[in-house]
Amino acid sequence: MSVVRDRPARLVGRALVRHDAVEKVAGRTRYAADFGLPGMLKAALKRADLPHARLLRVDTSAAEAVPGVASILTAKDVPENTVWVDVPGQTFQVGALKARANVLADGVVRYHGEPIAIVAAETEDAALAAVELIDVDYEELAVVTDPRAALEDGAPAVHEEGNLLASWQLHEGDVDAAFGGAHAVVDQSYETQFVDHAYLEPEAGVAWLDSGDVITVRAATQVIEHFRDLARILCVPDNRVRVIAPYVGGGFGGKEDMTVEPFLALVVQRTGRPVRMIWSRSESLLAREKRHPMKLRYRTACDAEGRLVAQDIVIVADGGAYALLSALVLLYATTCAQGPYACPNVRIDARVAYTNHTPASAMRGFGAMQVALGYEGQMDLLAAELGLDPLELRRRNFVERGDTLAVGQRLDTHVALPELADRVEAALGPKPAPSTPERRVGRGVACNLQPYGRCVWLNDWASAWVGFELDGTLVVRIGVPDIGGGQASSLVQVAGEVLGVDPADIVIHIGDSALTPLTGTTTATRQLYMSGNAVLQAAGELREELRPLASELLETEPDDVQFADGGVRSGGRHLPFRDLIGAAAKREVPWHRLSIFRAPGGEAWRSDASWRGRVFPDFTYGCHAVDLEVDSETGHVEVLRYVAAHDVGRAINPQSVEGQIEGAVVMGLGYALSERVVYEDGVNLTGTFAQYLIPTAVEAPEIEPIVVESGEGLGPFSARGIGEPPVGAVAPAVAGALADALGRRLTILPFTPERVAEA
Amino acid sequence: MIPRPFDYERPGSVEEAVAVLAAAGGRDAKLIAGGQSLVPMLSLGLARPDVLVDLSRVELDGIEALGGRVRVGATTCHRTLELDPEVRSLLPLAAEAARHVGNPRVRNRGTFGGSLAHADPAAELPVVALAHGGEIVAHGPGGARRIPLGEFFLGYLETALAPDEVLVAAELERLPEGSGVGFHEEAQRADDFALACAAAVVKPDGRARVVVGGVGDRPLRFDGAPGELAAAVESAVEPEEDAFVSAAFRRRLAGVCARRALAQAREDAAA
Amino acid sequence: MTLELVVNGRRFREPVEPHVTLLHFLRDKAGATDVKYGCGEGVCGACTVLLDGVAVNACSVLAVQAEGARVETVAGLGENGSLHPLQQELVERGAVQCGFCTPGVVLGSLEAVRLGLAGDRPTIRRSLAGNLCRCTGYGKIVDAVEAYRDRQGHAS
Ligand SMILES: Cc1cc2nc3c(=O)[nH]c(=O)nc-3n(C[C@H](O)[C@H](O)[C@H](O)COP(=O)(O)OP(=O)(O)OC[C@H]3O[C@@H](n4cnc5c(N)ncnc54)[C@H](O)[C@@H]3O)c2cc1C
Ligand code: FES
Ligand code: FES
Repeated sequence: MSVVRDRPARLVGRALVRHDAVEKVAGRTRYAADFGLPGMLKAALKRADLPHARLLRVDTSAAEAVPGVASILTAKDVPENTVWVDVPGQTFQVGALKARANVLADGVVRYHGEPIAIVAAETEDAALAAVELIDVDYEELAVVTDPRAALEDGAPAVHEEGNLLASWQLHEGDVDAAFGGAHAVVDQSYETQFVDHAYLEPEAGVAWLDSGDVITVRAATQVIEHFRDLARILCVPDNRVRVIAPYVGGGFGGKEDMTVEPFLALVVQRTGRPVRMIWSRSESLLAREKRHPMKLRYRTACDAEGRLVAQDIVIVADGGAYALLSALVLLYATTCAQGPYACPNVRIDARVAYTNHTPASAMRGFGAMQVALGYEGQMDLLAAELGLDPLELRRRNFVERGDTLAVGQRLDTHVALPELADRVEAALGPKPAPSTPERRVGRGVACNLQPYGRCVWLNDWASAWVGFELDGTLVVRIGVPDIGGGQASSLVQVAGEVLGVDPADIVIHIGDSALTPLTGTTTATRQLYMSGNAVLQAAGELREELRPLASELLETEPDDVQFADGGVRSGGRHLPFRDLIGAAAKREVPWHRLSIFRAPGGEAWRSDASWRGRVFPDFTYGCHAVDLEVDSETGHVEVLRYVAAHDVGRAINPQSVEGQIEGAVVMGLGYALSERVVYEDGVNLTGTFAQYLIPTAVEAPEIEPIVVESGEGLGPFSARGIGEPPVGAVAPAVAGALADALGRRLTILPFTPERVAEA
Repeated sequence: MIPRPFDYERPGSVEEAVAVLAAAGGRDAKLIAGGQSLVPMLSLGLARPDVLVDLSRVELDGIEALGGRVRVGATTCHRTLELDPEVRSLLPLAAEAARHVGNPRVRNRGTFGGSLAHADPAAELPVVALAHGGEIVAHGPGGARRIPLGEFFLGYLETALAPDEVLVAAELERLPEGSGVGFHEEAQRADDFALACAAAVVKPDGRARVVVGGVGDRPLRFDGAPGELAAAVESAVEPEEDAFVSAAFRRRLAGVCARRALAQAREDAAA
Repeated sequence: MTLELVVNGRRFREPVEPHVTLLHFLRDKAGATDVKYGCGEGVCGACTVLLDGVAVNACSVLAVQAEGARVETVAGLGENGSLHPLQQELVERGAVQCGFCTPGVVLGSLEAVRLGLAGDRPTIRRSLAGNLCRCTGYGKIVDAVEAYRDRQGHAS
């Protein structure tokens, strides 16, 4: 049963056309690479040809002689070459709470494609010619590419401090005792792969020196707050750097760490001239951060009824050559590793190691999605062991409101899993018959949980400005980067809902660290939750501020004033905002509002395994099912049917919610069946878009999204985040369906035709 | 990346094109037809010619039945092979295979001659050409030269064309009345190059031919009894291993493609 | 060399070097930044334009090869500032997320419908296979093309 609470009848909950969609479809949106300034330089990077080597000599003299070259920078030219990524809550065994990377390689390159030098020139031709003439003498160093091997004694050291990047340990209950008395135990290893975000827009940006000596970077990014990191790198005060995020052509976490920004800012600082940098697809595939591969080992025990009694989980993740967000990604994996299932005894040993691979960092699902392959695989195995229907076994174990996860987080909002499972089952119908004799059909189900919002101890906050113009139109200013998920247009919907303004009369200014109130990153499925609440709050406060005046002008009680239809009304009387705001201006009643929304905070996870507490604000739950057909001769997998149900609390824009689910499912199918970045001894061989196989419209199936609205969630109007959650359940559902079709379980992603055919 | 600079010539006739190629001397001169292989290779830095000789002003397209052969002009685009009703009746195998070449925009510009001259071992059209048999017509400084298709493909991206020759047409043998044809391809995604593909012809006399692509350094031809060919293919091919696909799996796919193409061809012959 | 061509009805006469792709020419010299760079390999379709009415990947054509041609990009589609019916369908059906693939999707679909290669959903999917989209999962794009195709059916 879905509870829909006091649905407001106006904008929220309607499939409103996104205001940005019209401009995009007409080709008018100016993405990062679509912008230029007269006389701008073109910048390009010299990148490492080897995965691990000492830089004996970087000779730029021939490159500097190329006509049109304006400037070449190496590590020695960077005022502060070390970038710190703050990871509060990191365990103490591993040392500092901070992760570290270099802007330009300093003495040693640790992964294939690591930037060594920046070239800025009058033309792209000159920049590329110069890059080719930079002469680097390498002394090759031993390469380590397996995270387990990296953690062994005597492994080649990627960093002097050792190869352990971060570790989380957890032990709740008594796992060993529980295994002793268990009815059934399943023990299985799983492996996930390096995955690229493969958004259609490669990394790009333009930077210039603006008045007040403010270095301004307009780049495709999910995080305008990197202006502070840039200030650190440039050794200038924070207020001398400004980052602008135009509409972004896809992010998925890949534009969460900095990409082109530091290089652009350095060229501006050095030359005083505007500069543009656009990465080629090959560069993006070669060297931009990837999703963490994880090696998982799950031992899971249950009683005779199929109820989990113990989970013993070992996670070893590949963090690549530098520490970006690995510690946090691993934390998400650790917290979610038990899945959405109650279990009294849980032990988790999670470690992430440095290797000579591309650095791994944020990608949709952020650690919580990789472990789903493990916890859902275990549910399937136990179901088979007990002769139970896979969904039935899950039903017996679903967490409920009031339960506490092993990490100590109590679940205090509605857990819709039983209902999601019912809806999925009802939608599926009978399993189809194979279309030809050499084909086999399989069905799989999977459930998952994914946090939305950042870790509570990061004390997240978001600010927003909402104000009227004198003509009664509305402006929203908020520093949110819009990465394609309809971030900005949802906020228009929220503001319009609260104040009764038609979205056509609202303009939203976003993504400018200098001019729009800061609202945090478009990451961690936090943006609707955080910025949505900030706008909700600002708009609500503004409404209350205007209410007394409105009541006076309408000659009615304040409580009788409604904000609707482009003005205020009471009974039959309606006063347009133009008149209300005109009056407000005369009377010095404020007609705009800046508000800060603060997420509930919490205590940071300490080092020891006995720490218990809240990690995340809340979770979004999902249940997916897939029917697929396998050609047993060729290993070709055709997805016949895909059903994906999520409780989104409240769908602010149901069409956007469906779009997030459908897009995530197809991204999940690519992860399950075809996508992988292939390395050979640390050399990245996946240099073209023809090799990195994201699904096309043909591989993508028809998808049936089921949007459940429990009316409970921490976002505005009780919404839950939906950007990341649907990606997690896909691969395990596919794994289950393949096992059903083949009679054998595949455990190493992706399930390529070759692996399927050989299963 | 963007292409590195080169010189550019746009001759108006085959003779002029040949003259430009011949005049290049020690410089690396390359023809460009549809550019669907060459321009991406330029952008990726995989090709770095000194001079490009553009065939876009040389009229070499068109399909023509000549007695027992069909002449396909070099610059006939994949899309014509795919969609033209006349091709469907004259060269049904080419029509079927052309659907598998790249995406619609690659097919809109990519040319038959370019595909044969490029000689990618995984390309479909060389497989089809070899299945038909016939001759390549090339023009060089010495005039026209005919190269039997069986001698044309020499290796990975390697043909019997000399650097100063222009492929002007392929004359493909028509299949005997009552023949059946089949084409099967396994690719990783729709529109991708084949992992393996096979064209099959079953003739009224009961003999069959299969040509497989993607599993060697060039398309490979097998003749024999229809029932034995697929197994023959699978045991004979020696595909290369790469980081993405094993040799064993490609071999397996070659067998499957051959078997399925043959089954189609038999059905087609019976119809 | 001097290149002469017409982009969305505007005539250009510009010096151009032979190694410049049509994509770069359009973006850097003709102001047509609605044509996107997604891969430069002919794989993603973000750079789709109509060259004398035929859809091509602008990244895989040299600018000099477009000498004398008429180029249309997505920005040249609608009339008097209003959207083309296919664009309208894409907007209304939620087929635009980040929008980076969208210009290519529009022109690719238009050609498919014009050539009768948008018969049913699987056929539409086949026709769109060279237009990669990482955001939408394609379903809503197929919805929009279907709806536009039906509109065309009624119109003719
Ligand atoms: C994304 C993508 C996917 C593709 N998928 C496939 C696929 O699945 N199957 C497939 O077969 N192909 C595929 N291709 C390649 C495509 O078919 C090319 O069109 C074809 O290989 C070359 O034809 P072209 O006219 O474009 O030749 P060009 O690119 O212009 O030239 C290719 C080579 O042939 C030479 N050449 C061209 N014409 C002549 C001539 N008349 N005489 C002598 N030499 C000549 C050139 O010098 C050059 O070396 C794909 C391409 C892309 C970009
Ligand atoms: S940029 Fe041309 S196809 Fe991708
Ligand atoms: S909408 Fe983002 S790539 Fe299609």
